[in-house]
Amino acid sequence: MSDLPALDRLTCVLCPVGCELEVRRDATGELEIHGNQCDKGVPFAIEEVLHPKRNLATSVPVRGTPAKMASVRLSGPVPREFVFPILAEIAKLRPEAPVRRGQVLIADVLGTGVDVIATRTVG
Amino acid sequence: METIEAHDVVVIGGGPAGLAAALGARRAGAGGVLLLERERTLGGILNQCVHDGFGLFLYKETISGPEYAERLIEDVVREPIKVETGAMVLDLTADRVLRVNSRAGYRLVKAKSVVLAMGCRERTRGMIEIPGTRPAGIFTAGSAQNLVNLQNLRIGNQAVILGSGDIGLIMARRLTFEGVAVKGVFEILPWASGLERNVRQCLMDFGIPLELRSTVVEIRGRDRVESVVVAKVDDRLAPVAGTESVIPCDTLLLSVGLIPENELSKRAGVELSPITGGAVVDQTLMTSAPGIFSCGNVLHIHDVADWASFEGFAAGERAARYAAGERVAGGTVRISAGPNVKYALPQFLTSGAAGVEWSFRVARPLRNVQVLVKGKATEKVYSRKKFGRLLPSELQKIKVRQTVKEDLEVSCHE
Repeated sequence: MSDLPALDRLTCVLCPVGCELEVRRDATGELEIHGNQCDKGVPFAIEEVLHPKRNLATSVPVRGTPAKMASVRLSGPVPREFVFPILAEIAKLRPEAPVRRGQVLIADVLGTGVDVIATRTVG
Repeated sequence: METIEAHDVVVIGGGPAGLAAALGARRAGAGGVLLLERERTLGGILNQCVHDGFGLFLYKETISGPEYAERLIEDVVREPIKVETGAMVLDLTADRVLRVNSRAGYRLVKAKSVVLAMGCRERTRGMIEIPGTRPAGIFTAGSAQNLVNLQNLRIGNQAVILGSGDIGLIMARRLTFEGVAVKGVFEILPWASGLERNVRQCLMDFGIPLELRSTVVEIRGRDRVESVVVAKVDDRLAPVAGTESVIPCDTLLLSVGLIPENELSKRAGVELSPITGGAVVDQTLMTSAPGIFSCGNVLHIHDVADWASFEGFAAGERAARYAAGERVAGGTVRISAGPNVKYALPQFLTSGAAGVEWSFRVARPLRNVQVLVKGKATEKVYSRKKFGRLLPSELQKIKVRQTVKEDLEVSCHE
């Protein structure tokens, strides 16, 4: 027997529509999704119930420019439990100016296959 | 005698709406486009919105605010658009003369058409009249976002957030990332005023409680905030005696609404709507002052930057056409907000206009909704659209393809 809830309600976060999804288990134990207005809702709900993933954003100080911050994010979402460990890695960053938008600041951060990238050009 | 510098289209404000307006004007063939931005850099509020979720509609991918801004800015600088940052517009007249103070000094600018894109500002403690002492540690959510994301400052250790606007929700997560303990978000209404996705990603992910029908009734502390008193409210939003509890904290963030920044519009005599706080416009986004157009958060508050930009493209294009001599007959058809609708925009149409799209916002959460655009006199249904659910936090659209010659009402029915 699975210890997953037989029923879950969640709001899809893929776009601002915010569909209210209902996840049910059918008789065979397969997940069924209801309430999605587009096809993206199904894999989203399954992933959100089994292995939620998130992107994250913060900013880091850039060396060589006075008091300038470069904002950063991940190139894609990571399992939610990686959010705080990755933030700790990002907190060590002190990139040198110039920093370009899209520049990889940490490749394959903590082996997640996802990069930490700058989202702002500084210097 | 003062000399007057002439331009075809002058755009006031270089955020998501103003950048798009400058591009829209240029792409519609305007010869001289001047974009004036008060800050030292273009991009407006996007620069401090480091979270992702921008660009889904404009760029078909989800990016952060700074990336969204840079992409729009790159498009603007490729065009022969004159961009001036550090330029403050001090005054605007109904005949479109601007008094501009910039690094180049003070000067007069005359425009054939003007696009208002000044954005909005946050409601403050004074506007919601929270009783108590006046210690340090009280921030609007957006100013906290600026201090954390752009100035790398730690604003406190234990925070309470009043109001569930999107910036407040985003800041709950941002402060959690920075090691600040967020004790809870308190919302006076029975529903969250921010987007659903932000409630889930910014609060639920981190176990931050969202207390609905609750508000801060007192701020305590001498030099720095020491605690806030929260209480439940009744159906009239009045605090209920006996429900108070004291929450120790050193920081209070306010996310209690945004106000379109229309000081210049008022100077030009532009008619404002008491509901949106922005200009009353026709289907070309022109205000009551001929040749003055409005778009983005100065027109009405948007929940998604992309829609502010789309409005900017449209206003810029219309401003270019006005500058080229095109005239649209005045709006004589009035569109009113019917049952369950907070507002619908544009508020006026030229009689005979067709293919007009309205932005509207509902007054309360609704389920299984039919939205109707009906003739006031004939009861004729011009457009209908069904929604599973509509929330006040979500700006929605409905289009009427047919020609309209009578006053209309937009209404929602469960």
